[in-house]
Amino acid sequence: MDSATENLRGSFLYQLFDSMDLNLESDGNQNEQEQQKRHLHVLAVDDSHIDRKLLERLLTVSSYQVTCVDSGDKALEYLGLLENTDNDSTTSCSSSCCTSSSSLSPQQEASKVNLIMTDYSMPGMSGYDLLKRVKESSWKNVPVVVMSSENVPSRINMCLEGGAEQFLLKPVKLSDLRELQSHILNPLSNSCKHFDDSFVDDNTNNGSHSCKHFDDSFVDDNTNNGNDNNDNDSDKKNNNSNKRKAMSPDCSERRPKITELVVL
Amino acid sequence: MEVGQLQERFVDYTKSLFCEGFLDDQFLQLQQLQDESNPDFVVEVVSLFFEDSEKLLNDLTKTLDQQFVDYKRVDAQVHQLKGSSSSIGAQRVKNACIGFRNFCEEQNIEGCLRCLHQVKQEYSLVKNKLQTLFRLEQQIVAAGGAIPMVE
Repeated sequence: MDSATENLRGSFLYQLFDSMDLNLESDGNQNEQEQQKRHLHVLAVDDSHIDRKLLERLLTVSSYQVTCVDSGDKALEYLGLLENTDNDSTTSCSSSCCTSSSSLSPQQEASKVNLIMTDYSMPGMSGYDLLKRVKESSWKNVPVVVMSSENVPSRINMCLEGGAEQFLLKPVKLSDLRELQSHILNPLSNSCKHFDDSFVDDNTNNGSHSCKHFDDSFVDDNTNNGNDNNDNDSDKKNNNSNKRKAMSPDCSERRPKITELVVL
Repeated sequence: MEVGQLQERFVDYTKSLFCEGFLDDQFLQLQQLQDESNPDFVVEVVSLFFEDSEKLLNDLTKTLDQQFVDYKRVDAQVHQLKGSSSSIGAQRVKNACIGFRNFCEEQNIEGCLRCLHQVKQEYSLVKNKLQTLFRLEQQIVAAGGAIPMVE
């Protein structure tokens, strides 16, 4: 097996497709998408009890399997990334977790995290800190979505450049998850980057490349506000457009990579 | 009162809460997440909000009553309250929190105390309204009717 294929096999999406026995030539109708999603396990991280409950419900309704934890530390523990990863740690985790039913043991469940959604502002380890830790670990290919109630462009850029897949403004809605789902479930239609050898190796570069696009649009949208506090009604319109920009990457930035497609 | 009248009352009351800005679109989102498998979802989330808020408001009162006010702590608590009220669609509480944070930044005790008072008032109002709304729902269900969806 050549190194290019090795890299591909290591990629999260390749493993995902593998495990889902996906027929890549199909049109991906509604039913099939639902089936795909039921295989997807989301680790949700938020210190707010209300937001955890909301997120858990949003994700369950959208057919994902969910595990909630209330801190970055608990998330790392769940992923087996803390120094003392003995079996006891998983039981202490479950007391502050809400997990949708599964026949897998905690260790097996943790081995199947497909997406991490984390709040940004948390006491102790922030969502950004968690993002960095995940991206430096064996879980680096798992997409991480960061959420925040505050629309701070520099924060958003920092997270995207740190490797976050998306940045969502709270409160998170069903429509946000639908857009997210199409981005994560249908890489073929969104971009070819997942088959790009250099993307798999060079994750952060590509991330920042697409971020430059966000950067410009954020600057444009926010110069109109003329105030530091982004939290007022007149900002709502900008909030929504920023949010959409944070969520829908312009694929044209990535399309040039199609010339570097590795043929399977 | 028969079901039809109760349902009409419910719809009118819900609409008024939106018109008067007590609730915003996020509350509708919560309702959309409720179904037969989770019939009490909205009540559960709102109850959490009540618990959370009361704790925060008590804490805030204590923090602002200190001789040397820890504004960072005040700000963190208001941020929390703003977040949770936003998550359930309690718009007026959320907006009251926004102003509050500005005074925190300025370390303006007078402003903070005024805002705390306002947040408490808005919270009390929306709590009352939501409890009334839930009571109306219960009455409809008890009378054998379905709770109408309000767009």
